[in-house]
Amino acid sequence: MSLVAAYHRPGSLGEALELLSTPQRVALAGGTTLNADREPSDLEAVDLQALGLDQVASAGGGRVRLGATITLDAVRRCDLLPESLRELARAEQPSTLRTLATVGGLVAKASAESLLLAALLAHEARVELAGPGDAGSSERGLGELLAAGLAPGSLITAVAVDPSGSTAVSRTGRTPADVPIVAAYGRRTDGFVAMALTGVADHPVLVDVYDPTAGLDPAGDFRGSREYRLHLAGTLTARVMQELYP
Amino acid sequence: MTIDVTFELNGAAVTLAVEPHHTLREALRRLGMFSVHFGSDSGETGAAAVLYDGRLASADVILAAAADGHRVTTVESLNVSPELHPVQTAFVAVGAFQSGYSAGAMILGTLALLEENPDPSEDEIRDMLSGILDRETAYVKPVEAVKRAAAVLRGTETEPFAPLVIEPLTDGYRPPAQPPTGSPAPEAPHAAPRLVPSREVPDMAVVGKPEVKVDAVRLAKGNPAFTDDIEPRGMLYAKVLRSPHAHARILSIDDSAARAVDGVHAVLHYGNTPRVKYASGGQSWPNPHPYDQVSFDDRVRHVGDRVAAVAAETIEAAEEALRLIEVEYEVLPAVFDERFAMDSDAPKVHDEDDTTHICDPQRNLVHHIAATRGDVDGNLAAAPHVFEQTFRVHQVQQCPIEPHISMAWLDSDERMVVRTATQVPFHTRRMLAPLIDMEIKDIRVIKPRIGGGFGAKQEMLIEDIVAHLAIATRRPVRLELDRAEEFYASRTRHPQTITFRTAVDDDGKLLAQEMSIIGNTGPYGTHGFTVQIVSGLRGLTSYNASSKRFDCHVVYTNIPVPGAYRGYGAPQAEFALEAHMEDIARTLDLDPIEFKRRNWVKVGDEMDIAPHLGERAVAEEELDEYPKVMSSGIEECVAQGMREIDWSRRDDAAWKAPADRPNIRRGIGFAFCMHGTAIPFLDMGGCSIKLNDDGSFNMLIGATDLGTGADTVIGQIAAEVLGVPLDDIKVYSSDTDMTPFDTGAYASSTTYISGTAALRAAEAVRERLKARAAMLLDVDEPCTIELRDRRAYAADGRSVTLEEIALDSLHWQEQEQIMGTASHVSPDCPPPFAAQFAEVEVDVDTGQVTVTRLVMAVDCGVAINPVTASGQVEGGMIQALGYAHCEEIVLDDDGRMVNPSFGPYKIYRADEMPDTVVYLVQTMEDSGPFGAKAVAEIPKDGVAPAVRNAILDATGTAINELPFTPERVWAALQAQA
Repeated sequence: MSLVAAYHRPGSLGEALELLSTPQRVALAGGTTLNADREPSDLEAVDLQALGLDQVASAGGGRVRLGATITLDAVRRCDLLPESLRELARAEQPSTLRTLATVGGLVAKASAESLLLAALLAHEARVELAGPGDAGSSERGLGELLAAGLAPGSLITAVAVDPSGSTAVSRTGRTPADVPIVAAYGRRTDGFVAMALTGVADHPVLVDVYDPTAGLDPAGDFRGSREYRLHLAGTLTARVMQELYP
Repeated sequence: MTIDVTFELNGAAVTLAVEPHHTLREALRRLGMFSVHFGSDSGETGAAAVLYDGRLASADVILAAAADGHRVTTVESLNVSPELHPVQTAFVAVGAFQSGYSAGAMILGTLALLEENPDPSEDEIRDMLSGILDRETAYVKPVEAVKRAAAVLRGTETEPFAPLVIEPLTDGYRPPAQPPTGSPAPEAPHAAPRLVPSREVPDMAVVGKPEVKVDAVRLAKGNPAFTDDIEPRGMLYAKVLRSPHAHARILSIDDSAARAVDGVHAVLHYGNTPRVKYASGGQSWPNPHPYDQVSFDDRVRHVGDRVAAVAAETIEAAEEALRLIEVEYEVLPAVFDERFAMDSDAPKVHDEDDTTHICDPQRNLVHHIAATRGDVDGNLAAAPHVFEQTFRVHQVQQCPIEPHISMAWLDSDERMVVRTATQVPFHTRRMLAPLIDMEIKDIRVIKPRIGGGFGAKQEMLIEDIVAHLAIATRRPVRLELDRAEEFYASRTRHPQTITFRTAVDDDGKLLAQEMSIIGNTGPYGTHGFTVQIVSGLRGLTSYNASSKRFDCHVVYTNIPVPGAYRGYGAPQAEFALEAHMEDIARTLDLDPIEFKRRNWVKVGDEMDIAPHLGERAVAEEELDEYPKVMSSGIEECVAQGMREIDWSRRDDAAWKAPADRPNIRRGIGFAFCMHGTAIPFLDMGGCSIKLNDDGSFNMLIGATDLGTGADTVIGQIAAEVLGVPLDDIKVYSSDTDMTPFDTGAYASSTTYISGTAALRAAEAVRERLKARAAMLLDVDEPCTIELRDRRAYAADGRSVTLEEIALDSLHWQEQEQIMGTASHVSPDCPPPFAAQFAEVEVDVDTGQVTVTRLVMAVDCGVAINPVTASGQVEGGMIQALGYAHCEEIVLDDDGRMVNPSFGPYKIYRADEMPDTVVYLVQTMEDSGPFGAKAVAEIPKDGVAPAVRNAILDATGTAINELPFTPERVWAALQAQA
């Protein structure tokens, strides 16, 4: 639990953005990260639950638009999404946390180990943002956003993905439900494969399927050294390719 | 600034004022929802899970303010009558609760799941349970409970939950004539223990039956039962300032700013607390030396060591005060690896002059333990085959979902009352007395229900802190560790470096076996001596050799403190031993089971090293005779296990290297397991039983039920003797003012020792009942009276009820309180035996090991309650699997734990479990109550070597270090290639 100093529940996006324009205010989505930290702070929580961002809808171009406060549990149940994404939403968090954790929180956290986030990358996710004042609303590719980071005061309002294509996933962990040390998620559409990896950079990244370790310089930790992670990147990518092209 | 929050709680609107940072868990507990428990602040334990708008969610990470306008349901919503809801009933009926700390979450999750899907698949059930970490049951019986609850709610009839009785495959002593593979193992739900009866065991009314646990209703309802479930008026909250350094001298402490914080009542540290030396391990008097701890020291010896403690009106005030304590440290060099601790240039962990009995403080050598039988050197020199291998085992934590928690206050007589989650209330009382300068008679220690212990709570860990603070403030004081503290500031398993050297003749018989250990006891001795002793016992007792030698160096280092952990030195030793024996068999081209069989101890064999090790070790010339094995069901265990795992697949090349999965290799491993039952001549338990007006009984025991079912099992023993159902025995345990003495819950002693005390106390009561019945029935010989079905029967069939006897004896003629008291200490330590099998898949390209099946067949004598016994085996196996496979405390170069939370520290959850099957093979152990031996710890012993040997079978690669994480296995495979 973070020792937040104040709690706000804005009733509109404008009110939320106004509140978030003050540096010590942070968006509170599902709370599984923010509230799990017990360090004292002068942070003020801006709770997004009343903004109506919990809708799922079909969007243009066959895309599926997931509101930012959609929970991972709701993603798991979403019939508009392919089974692979739904299963990864299930696996992303255990049962007692996925009912709270949200899509917006997932993107904002940008965990290097998130396989669901990697899958969203492969599904060409685009992130809708709202910003204060002149910034207004905008849309950015997920990969671009992960690389650049979320600008202060801006708010993720939705994530839209292309659900089409065939997919495959391969992962290595200590146990079957462990957060993977490295994982690969591939999506094949009309002769093109988008391959996303976890555990090899500061956040999930898209890689070249023919040279998946190019440019990677993963930090090692007790679960996997740099060399081991690079080995897994190559091995798991090859497996995914084999499954996509049997 | 407070916020008024209104939400619907169990169907009714509630409004309360909260601080912005308060969580829903805190709010619910303020509202008296005691089923909502603390496991961690980050919600991954699920102990505080509730239904939040109908969905299972961890209340730890929901701000109370955010709950405004929402619907919250706790298990208390079901408690509208004395009867249980069908879901609660299902959990109770299958023995799904051990400690029951997360019972509310499991029941709520089941309700939500079944509302959405009345007929869920096992995968869906396991997914629902994936957010509720259970360190006790391996999820086997909770899954079965959900299935049965679903069936009941659908209107499907279910059979009573009972063991599956299996025909023996052996005569009890020899292996079957034909290998017991090829024929299918019996089918039954995994939750049902397979019970292989012995003809020597008579049928009984209560003993041997799957009785419902005596505390099951309380747990199912989420009633206040645990330490934290009461709140004395005026209670203060304590927090502990912990060392950021692995080794440092405290040059000064300035607590003035901390004391000035509003709401702070006391700040304690070395400057204002008496320096009284002690050893914190919860063991019998006199505690093994050295006494190398004090409540607060001017030296810190590991990251997380105590520096100071604060008591304040709120946790937040206490934490604020901790941040304001100014400590000046002189940082000292540290040592972490036991192999280097004795080097001449290693830093000295204890160089103070008031700690005595350290073997060689200049070498960090706490103890040197040695024992020899026979001519080891001669046999090693002459043997045709000599094998030597070194193994390393690592540091893990017990991970009770309920962290350590204690509260203390001075009662109206100025006596110190300590309500605490402990396995050793009587030891704690005795050990606490000198630290707080009070007499034992002025201290009362109460053990409520415990949310798991596994040895971590066989320690006086924080009781002295709350007692000191209660004296300083004259207010009740509560201290609960957070999850990170539980990892690095409580207790852990000892790392060891183990070397075996074994001489073998040409027939595969052992001639000599030598075991050398460097045991890492961290910065304090605590259990360092006795844990290594158990390693020696297990390492050198399992197999016969004409000569044996144990040589052990126990060393100080600066790692988080090791202590007692279920298995207590045996898992380390048996990993090394069973790996070593496996490799010898392979080298000699012998079947591993056959090679081990040639050498393992059998009925009538001496346990020849045992008397020379331990707190009461004796020299050879002082012994009249060596203890012997008097019962063993190992052949039946091996036969049943081989059939269940289908051992013959080890020779099936197509199965081992599946054509459709070219990166996968499969294997099966075996480990022979032998443990102990209690500490002979040392462990003691007492019991007192009295008759009530209605023919029921109150039973007072000092034994400490951790969730193991000890209260139930001991109650069953008394009920069997007294001829009543278990429900007529009302058990109250572990309160030093109220109950007889007991050494506590450790050393696999409770059923055997405390159970025998109960047996004898019940026999004493039975004699008086018979005498009174004889009076009422006008029978001359009371010995002809029999007790059964709540009645006393004369030989001619006439009878009186126990209620009639009670009313007569208490109110009518020659009044007396019929009661019996007994205690028991045993000269014996009968070993339980087991055969552990593991099946694995190894991804040879990544090193990932997937354990697909665990089978354990256990000879625990007569299982007094086969359901609770099998639950012990299931839970123990999965803890042991974590030890083998994925759990590890990882320290950085400065000794800081880098993974002090669940997830990074990986324990198994419900949706990733291997299949587990348990066989209970009955034998009649005459020295135990109704034939019982121990069962609690042996499941910890064989999994790691069985998995290791399965990996070896699959890949041909032997790995001699734990755990089998992907990169370690991959590296070993690469090296092999």
